[in-house]
Amino acid sequence: MALPRKGAGRPWAERITAMTTPQASEGLDPRLPPTRRLGVVVVDPLPVVRAGLSLLIGDRPDIDVLAEAGTAEEAVEAVRRIRRSQVVMLVGLGLDGEHDSYWLIRTVRERFPGIAVLACGANADPTAISRALFTGADGFVDKNADPVEFLQSLRRVASREMVLAGPPTEWVGAIAEGIERRRMMEMALTAREREVLRVAAEGLTARQIATRLGVQERTVTTHLTRIYDKLGVGSRVAAIRVAAHAGLVSLGTPE
Amino acid sequence: MAIRAMETFVGPARVLIVEDHPVLREVVRMACDASPFLHVVGEARTGEEALEACRTLEPDVVLLDLTLPGMDGLEVARRLRAQEDPVKILVVSGRTDDQTVFESIRAGVDGYLAKTAAVRYITDSLVRVAAGERVFSRDQERAAIAELGRLARRAREASGLTPHITPRELEILRHLGRGLTMRQVANRTGVSARTVEAHIAKLHRKLGVSNRVQALARAADLGLIDLG
Repeated sequence: MALPRKGAGRPWAERITAMTTPQASEGLDPRLPPTRRLGVVVVDPLPVVRAGLSLLIGDRPDIDVLAEAGTAEEAVEAVRRIRRSQVVMLVGLGLDGEHDSYWLIRTVRERFPGIAVLACGANADPTAISRALFTGADGFVDKNADPVEFLQSLRRVASREMVLAGPPTEWVGAIAEGIERRRMMEMALTAREREVLRVAAEGLTARQIATRLGVQERTVTTHLTRIYDKLGVGSRVAAIRVAAHAGLVSLGTPE
Repeated sequence: MAIRAMETFVGPARVLIVEDHPVLREVVRMACDASPFLHVVGEARTGEEALEACRTLEPDVVLLDLTLPGMDGLEVARRLRAQEDPVKILVVSGRTDDQTVFESIRAGVDGYLAKTAAVRYITDSLVRVAAGERVFSRDQERAAIAELGRLARRAREASGLTPHITPRELEILRHLGRGLTMRQVANRTGVSARTVEAHIAKLHRKLGVSNRVQALARAADLGLIDLG
């Protein structure tokens, strides 16, 4: 699949095409057998984004796009069927709902530790990035990164190098603080309490939360009261805001 | 580099040198004095002196050695960056390990040089930092990012989320789940029985269990392996 050569405004296409020598692609021989090539699973809710990423990535002689997925469930299903060893899952942070991008990152980290996870976002802020890293992503690349750098990020994360491409170096401090806040929140609240908070952040009433979690409404309100105490807040809105600031929940999509 | 700074030239940058080693302090001072773009407004030998000097002299850029008597250089950097309209900081340090570079970047410094850097490079970097540029090498950025990754992993494990099982450990778990003995696992994976034992001990710790049966049950619970 060759990228069309014509068209203005894509100087990077020429640069990528120039990267066909083994030296340029970091010593990789373009005639590598499939098992030695890097396999990528592209996960993003938007079909056009998936198509664009697949074209960009699949055109490289040392990388194959193994599968595309538009939801977290599809992604897990795709990964289960993969038998290759060098695999990267590229996860857009825009999946939401009960099985959002962070659920996917955590699930892949837990059940498929051999797969590297590269999170990507558009205009993500430090809190979203901290959350991705804390949840288990091996790196983060911003969608507005230079395409050449984007591809390099995939290769680097596959060799287990931590990658942060796009966000300025100044953000390292804010990202580190975000991770620390999240850690403290995880230690302060029990797993159940975190679950209640996550569901509450979707805007459900206590009764709806109870139905979702399969417990009594009274149990939910007890949990919430304890959560308010631990977080030092007086209302559900405040609790959710604190949780969002720590990256435990999202308010709306990060994109 | 100096030429680019000239485009925003509004007069020499006012420099505070924070360095406890007298010879080094003198060398840097002389080099700064020789530059038309730099003007040394003060020197400090300890962290406390540095903070005081910043308050009274209001320099544009601080050249900061990390190893100071008394208050640690990193702490000085943090306090300076915490202020309103924080001063720019160029670190010059004998320490170049990942951890220190990461903590410095995390503290918000604008540049980091090894003490072995040529003096000319130090003055050039001071001019650039004063002009608003960041002076970090690619290696330093990668080191800081690698440390960030380690921080995330430690935080994840400390909060009791499912610990990071390495691919090798997973392989061993799967073999055990199929009923292989330790010796068979060692043969299958190509390592010694003792290594396999060490991996299993680590697995027990990571999974929070104390025997093989519990390890397999927990692993199955977490969806790491299928039993039967």
